Amino acid sequence: MSVLKKSAYAGTLESSDAYIQVSPIEEDDIKIILESSVKEIYGDAIEELVRKTIQDMNVNNVLVNVQDKGALDFVIKARLQAAILRACEMEQPEWEVL
Amino acid sequence: MKPAISFSQFDNTNTRRVKKVEHFLDSVDLELSPDIEVYVSAREDNKMIACGGLSGNVLKCIAISPEKRGEGFVLSVMTQLLNAANDRGRKELFIFSTPKNRTFFEECGFRLIEECDEKIMLMENTQNLEKYKNSLSELKKDGEVIGSIVMNANPFTLGHRYLVESAASQSDHLHIFVVREDASEFKFEDRIALIKNGLSHIENITIHEGSDYIISKATFPTYFIKDKGDVNELHAKLDLNIYRNHLAPKLGITHRFVGTEPYCTVTNNYNKNMKNILEDKNGSSNIIKVIEIQRVEYDHKAISASRVRALLKDKNYEELSNIVPDTTFEFLTKTK
Repeated sequence: MSVLKKSAYAGTLESSDAYIQVSPIEEDDIKIILESSVKEIYGDAIEELVRKTIQDMNVNNVLVNVQDKGALDFVIKARLQAAILRACEMEQPEWEVL
Repeated sequence: MKPAISFSQFDNTNTRRVKKVEHFLDSVDLELSPDIEVYVSAREDNKMIACGGLSGNVLKCIAISPEKRGEGFVLSVMTQLLNAANDRGRKELFIFSTPKNRTFFEECGFRLIEECDEKIMLMENTQNLEKYKNSLSELKKDGEVIGSIVMNANPFTLGHRYLVESAASQSDHLHIFVVREDASEFKFEDRIALIKNGLSHIENITIHEGSDYIISKATFPTYFIKDKGDVNELHAKLDLNIYRNHLAPKLGITHRFVGTEPYCTVTNNYNKNMKNILEDKNGSSNIIKVIEIQRVEYDHKAISASRVRALLKDKNYEELSNIVPDTTFEFLTKTK
């Protein structure tokens, strides 16, 4: 289980990218706030991707704020993983779980 | 090949670079806000092409040179500004800008709070206003006349007490908001404690801790449009519009009470604006009647917090004791 030690962010607001902020919260929960230029079509899919990515990293107490600019799945996933690693102050990811 | 754009970040101690930002802002008809702590600027070919500033939790003075507009460059600038804010642990942010830029900032995750006269607008990247409004609804009291007062009380005097007593006697219930911003001599916790202690004899009041939405650095900064005369008035209007359209309806507020202002022209103007905005029949929410209450005097001079501070400085405790309640006097003499 990885624990978030602080808030962190990754990404940009540029087109086809996403700006993702994560912060630790008290409760055992994954809270997602999503704004996306393609929310109507892909909103649910992005939320599911975000949730799954976080679960796969064994993180449990997190508030995620995703500002998506039409990023492809792997971009969102990479940005999110980077933000979480930074928040956990981990130098190296556990490659096998990514 | 396109020339490279480089971003840099610096703080307000770097006067040489701040000067350059000021010069750049001047070229796009904006004024540098003196309260900015951190600046972000972008350069291309050794020429500044964009800038932005961070003051507390407020992003302001965001500008892009005309030839770089319309290419989504604002998104790069905003990314840098958000990074600067996040690096300092500031996540709950406001933007102060002009309404014509609204859609740009909406693309960066900000929502409009209020705009005013097509000249200024305030946005936030959280849902805190909604949360605050909901928390206010829970404190709603029924009645025909629901009064309100916004006070800084720096510190609480017999003048404040008189204002509250008169307002409370004219209201079924009275809501008092205490300005939260710690820009005053006395700390917020001390100010609100003195208010509570000095008003414990009145029953039909609720004392609210202020918020970012009532006379704060977000709603009431000191900057923007060229003509200085405009500045205070626009900020006052923005603050009052938020009060009328967002906060007052949640508590069913029908009246706002203020003390008359014999000395300070800025406050006097604020009171005038208050009448114009809160009582405007064409507004989008119910009107709020503004009632000015004559300031109470002692020894033919109006009692004011500024006088208390002056007396305190001169250690004139005897005269001080005549214009503050016992509870405030005790506090002032204890901490000297």
